[in-house]
Amino acid sequence: MMKAAILTDISKCIGCGACAEACKTHNGLPPEDEPRALSETTWTFVKRVGDSNVRQQCMHCLEPSCASVCPVGALAKDAETGAVTYDESKCMGCRYCMVGCPFDVPRYEWTSNTPRVRKCILCHERLQAGAEPACTAACPTGATIFGDRDALLREASRRIAAEPETYVPHIYGQAEAGGTGVLYVSNVPFERLGFKVAIRNDPYPKLTWNVLSKLPNVVSVAGVGLVGLWWIIRRRDALMTGRDPGGKPDAARVAHDEPRTPETRRDGGEQGGDHVG
Amino acid sequence: MLAKLLKVMTWWRLVVLASGGLLLAAAWLRFTGGLGAVTNLNDRVPWGLWIGFDVLVGVGLAAGGFCIAAAVHLFHMERYEHVAKPAVLTAFLGYLLVCVGLLFDLGLPWNIWHPIIMWNPHSVMFEVGWCVICYTTVLGLEFSPIVFERFGWTLPLKIVRAGYTGLVVLGVLFSMMHQSSLGTLFVIVPDKLYGLWYTPWLPVFFFLTAVAGGLAMTILESNLSFRAFGHKLDDDLLDGMGRVIVVVLAVFFVWKVEDLANQGTLALVFERTPESVLFWGEMGLGVLLPMALFGSEKIRRDRSGRFFAALLVVIGFVVGRLNVAITGMQRASGVDYFPAFWEIAISVSLCVLGFAAFGFAVKNLDVFPKGELAHARPPAEISAWSLRALPTTSPWGIASLWALLAAGVWLVLGTGAPSATAQPPATTPAAVAAPAPAPVPVAAPPAGAPAAATSGAATPAPVPALPTQQALAGGKKLPADYIFPMAAGSPGPCTFSHARHMAAKDAPKCPTCHGKDGFRTDRPGALKEGLLNMETMGEGKTCGACHDGKRVFGVEDDATCEKCHPAR
Repeated sequence: MMKAAILTDISKCIGCGACAEACKTHNGLPPEDEPRALSETTWTFVKRVGDSNVRQQCMHCLEPSCASVCPVGALAKDAETGAVTYDESKCMGCRYCMVGCPFDVPRYEWTSNTPRVRKCILCHERLQAGAEPACTAACPTGATIFGDRDALLREASRRIAAEPETYVPHIYGQAEAGGTGVLYVSNVPFERLGFKVAIRNDPYPKLTWNVLSKLPNVVSVAGVGLVGLWWIIRRRDALMTGRDPGGKPDAARVAHDEPRTPETRRDGGEQGGDHVG
Repeated sequence: MLAKLLKVMTWWRLVVLASGGLLLAAAWLRFTGGLGAVTNLNDRVPWGLWIGFDVLVGVGLAAGGFCIAAAVHLFHMERYEHVAKPAVLTAFLGYLLVCVGLLFDLGLPWNIWHPIIMWNPHSVMFEVGWCVICYTTVLGLEFSPIVFERFGWTLPLKIVRAGYTGLVVLGVLFSMMHQSSLGTLFVIVPDKLYGLWYTPWLPVFFFLTAVAGGLAMTILESNLSFRAFGHKLDDDLLDGMGRVIVVVLAVFFVWKVEDLANQGTLALVFERTPESVLFWGEMGLGVLLPMALFGSEKIRRDRSGRFFAALLVVIGFVVGRLNVAITGMQRASGVDYFPAFWEIAISVSLCVLGFAAFGFAVKNLDVFPKGELAHARPPAEISAWSLRALPTTSPWGIASLWALLAAGVWLVLGTGAPSATAQPPATTPAAVAAPAPAPVPVAAPPAGAPAAATSGAATPAPVPALPTQQALAGGKKLPADYIFPMAAGSPGPCTFSHARHMAAKDAPKCPTCHGKDGFRTDRPGALKEGLLNMETMGEGKTCGACHDGKRVFGVEDDATCEKCHPAR
């Protein structure tokens, strides 16, 4: 299976904005002059940072947080094309994807009555038809190119090796967040271009899966433990009832018993028995 | 008629009516104008007060329900029976209100049922959704015997009672999962949640603080019920709950400090940041101080002391949850969020309606044991809940406690919140990004117009003292002027200037000329391929696409030759 990917070479980008125009045209998004950030109608644009042009878009993580956190699977990593896609018919609008995305990419239609999550979907339907995304197809300088991720990684390494004096020796997206479908090489250190460099190299979904995967064990053990406690304590109460001539064990016990956390309860039970005895 | 109306219209009922009206108005605005119309939420702050307070706090403070139910029905602490029904009722109402709050907060609330059939077990939100559904159902069933008794439905009563222990076990399990999963929600944002709160142990901390907060809420509720309904307070029982709170808070505190040390974030506690102030507020006022207070038997057995200590726990709990959901995320978001009027209005209205529903249930159902309501006053007098009415054993002691609380609140609100806005976020892209590009001197084409239609070079005549090329194109770095080789019979050399084109009125955009079918900078060769000459331009290709004599002066117009080919 080909892992669809985009390689953007910041040293080659002239900031013409052809990619952003093509994205708008292809996805039928309203035009916008001089976008300053991604928005619900701007899924990619070229940000001017210092002397560099930095194209911004969804990173299409190999293990996307947004797809992991989506309770209904509206966001999903397409197994065939590798695009992170969005199915608005499933979405219930919890916006956990926006909270969970380490790159802060998803945008929301805040003023709509039927709001949708909006972001680059790697021109998913074009990929299915065998074409490349509209943005890379439009790039006049080859600064952003489409291809198989492994091939693009080789190409990125080749460029860095061929011109070590030009490029920063790092491929952004190779390891970030467990690897992303969108890769960058640059002639300027990434931290100076506003890239999130504190990003973890482990896939983010692992963090929550570490917790969630333990749930079945914890819940079944806790369930058995609770029923066991109930059974033991009920038995103890029955014994106490037998010993107490007054036939009102609860009244006798209640007068002395201190509340205890469940863990200390069994010890307490013996003390309670002593009181009654 | 009016007089009659005024007679039944107490202050409290007025508040309830107003809250209901406010809620309806908010619903109208919310569902006609979208979330943006009633909230200050935005792409940087997708979760606000409704998630932070209505959901996280609402669910947490309902934890008293499962704690007391477990104590009574699983651990056979029958004396807690007195508070079991009100605690379960509170939890049930709390969960219903959380559901209503969610209907406001979800972008597409009519899809709220989707997690039932559309599964993603990897999502914490999926677990949260199921827990809400399941535990609300269990709470409804746990509360149902009271309703069945009221209407004398014996068969359903028998069925529910037969399975009551199972229900309670389920309730405890769902609660454990739900309380902890709300913390797990934030385990996936290590870069966004401030180091004082982010930890993989968030689920455990959420569970522990929910138990303390839920029990404290039960104590508060007992005091308030006493005020409102004359419901008898069992000192032994509330004393016991106070001790449990001390133990739970102590476990939480020790674990939290150890976790901060393990993560290497303990130093953040002693830095002077808005976050550390809030952290101290949460830990000092909400954990350490109430632990000290509840640790004293005298205070535990004093109704006012107990009330105050429990209130501190609840306030600490609320601050703690909001710290995770809102203030702890603020620095990374790079923007300041403060809830809009309608966000606050809906949250407050839901609380008021919750109290009203509680009062209604107490009045009409057998929530409190018989006999304890002998001195009950009508719920209309709930408005008499006021601090001065609290009986005190030592007025000075209580006064100093309240002063302490006020000072703490002032410290947290006065010092913490505003300075949170003053502190520039250190880790946002904005901080590392270059200053915004210089203002674009060229007029932008009207929105919606195709780029090609707006292109054109107005006057290639000598341009007087151009600013630097950088500034010309809104910060775009432009190539140097390009002099085309002269073809045979050319009247003079032609110079193409990016700068002049970009400086022109109605300047073309880069993609007007550069693009798939235009001048590709990765393959400069248009000249060699014979594409750029007077013939092709005349056919409307290359320069001729714009220089057609209509949009801008035409290439075939003899009168304007010199514009491109200045005679030597």
